[in-house]
Parts: sequence; structure tokens; C-alpha cells
Amino acid sequence: MKMVETLLDICGIGRRRMALRWVSAAEGQLFADTVKELTKSTQELGPFDAQEHRLQLAAIEGALKSPRIRWLTGMDRHLTERGNVYNEKIDLETFQKMEREVAEDEYQKALLLEALREGPLSVREMAARTGLPVYTVSLKLNDLERRGLADLKGFEGSTPKFIRLAA
Amino acid sequence: MSDAFEAKILAFLCNWCAYAGADLAGVSRFQYPSSLRVIRTMCSGRVDPLYVIEGLKSGYDQVAVFG
Repeated sequence: MKMVETLLDICGIGRRRMALRWVSAAEGQLFADTVKELTKSTQELGPFDAQEHRLQLAAIEGALKSPRIRWLTGMDRHLTERGNVYNEKIDLETFQKMEREVAEDEYQKALLLEALREGPLSVREMAARTGLPVYTVSLKLNDLERRGLADLKGFEGSTPKFIRLAA
Repeated sequence: MSDAFEAKILAFLCNWCAYAGADLAGVSRFQYPSSLRVIRTMCSGRVDPLYVIEGLKSGYDQVAVFG
């Protein structure tokens, strides 16, 4: 769930759109209070426009399904307290930094793939649709091409257009 | 739709913890807002992160997981 919070932050929707709370069977009052608190904070945030964030939500789904994120999720205690097979322990800060980097990378790639569902796009069009800087689009697109997930479709005038491959 | 915005929250409740807690809140007549739509799960640990995203996609204003 921490990963979802991170991804919601990265895409600009914000982690306040989700909550994880602990209420035991004996804590009826706590349950009522928690519901009050969540309702109040969501009321302040205002309505959530799913249509407006369609691309971002689809990209988060894509990122959550990526092997890298699935392997990394929930490994924090294992790697920071017990260590890896080389008996190397990573401090929590380093782990969280890496987790964030991976989440950002996977999210941006998934976002580009989602944008490419609409048809062939140039790098500038992808940047406009996703809100990512042109340079970032170019970098991630390169990665997607190497992994065989996207490819050059052809040229429109002198502008290269890219498409999504398979899946 | 009415003019006043009423938050809609989708909640996943663990059968053994929060669901019983919610039951107790009801039995004890504690007042709480009606903004919650509850889905009971046998354990909050079986709630896939993808469900949270699916909830937001379906038009909820917030998705909460209660363990």
C-alpha cells in the first residue's frame, strides 16, 4: 500500500485519495471516529474526477503490474533488517530512495505506453499528453524500444512517430 | 445530482478486525457519516493494490483499507 501512496504522489493525484487504517474488533468508537475523519478530509479534497485522471490511473495499474515493482514491494524490512544474500544490509533511507526511483521510472514508462494506445505519436505529442518533459519522454521511449515494447512507426514529414507494440 | 458535494468513500474491511469494529459501532449506536461503501474481505492483506486504483477509476473520491 505504501507503493500505491508513492505512485499516487508521483502522478499528481496525491496520497490523500487513499487511506490505510487499523481498527480492531473492540474499537467501535475508533471506527466511528476514523470514518468521521476520513469523510472530513475527503470532503475538503473535493470530488475526484476519474475521467480527468484516466491516463494516470491506467499508468499506475501498469506500473503496479511491472515485475520490478512487484519484486520490490514489501522487501523493505527484509533488506534493511535481515540483509540480502551477500549479507549486506541497506539503510532504510537508501531503500526508500531506490523504491521511489523505480516507482517513478515504471510509472513514466507505463504512462507513455498508455498514451500510445491512442495511436502513433511523436515525442512532442507524448510530452504534451503526459505532462512529462520532452527529455524524459525521449529517455523512457528509448528504454521501451530496447525492451521491444514500443517502436518507430514511420515519419510524418520529418517528425518520427512511435507506436506501442503488442500487449 | 444535488449541489452539495458528498464524499463517497470505498472501504475494504477486514472480517476479523474492522468489520467487527464497524458492527460494534453500529450496535453501540455511535454516530458516523454515511459516506462509506463497505466491502468485507476475509483479511485486509488480500486487498490487492490494484483494487485501490480500480476503486478510484470507478468514481469513488477516496479508497480506504481498514485492517
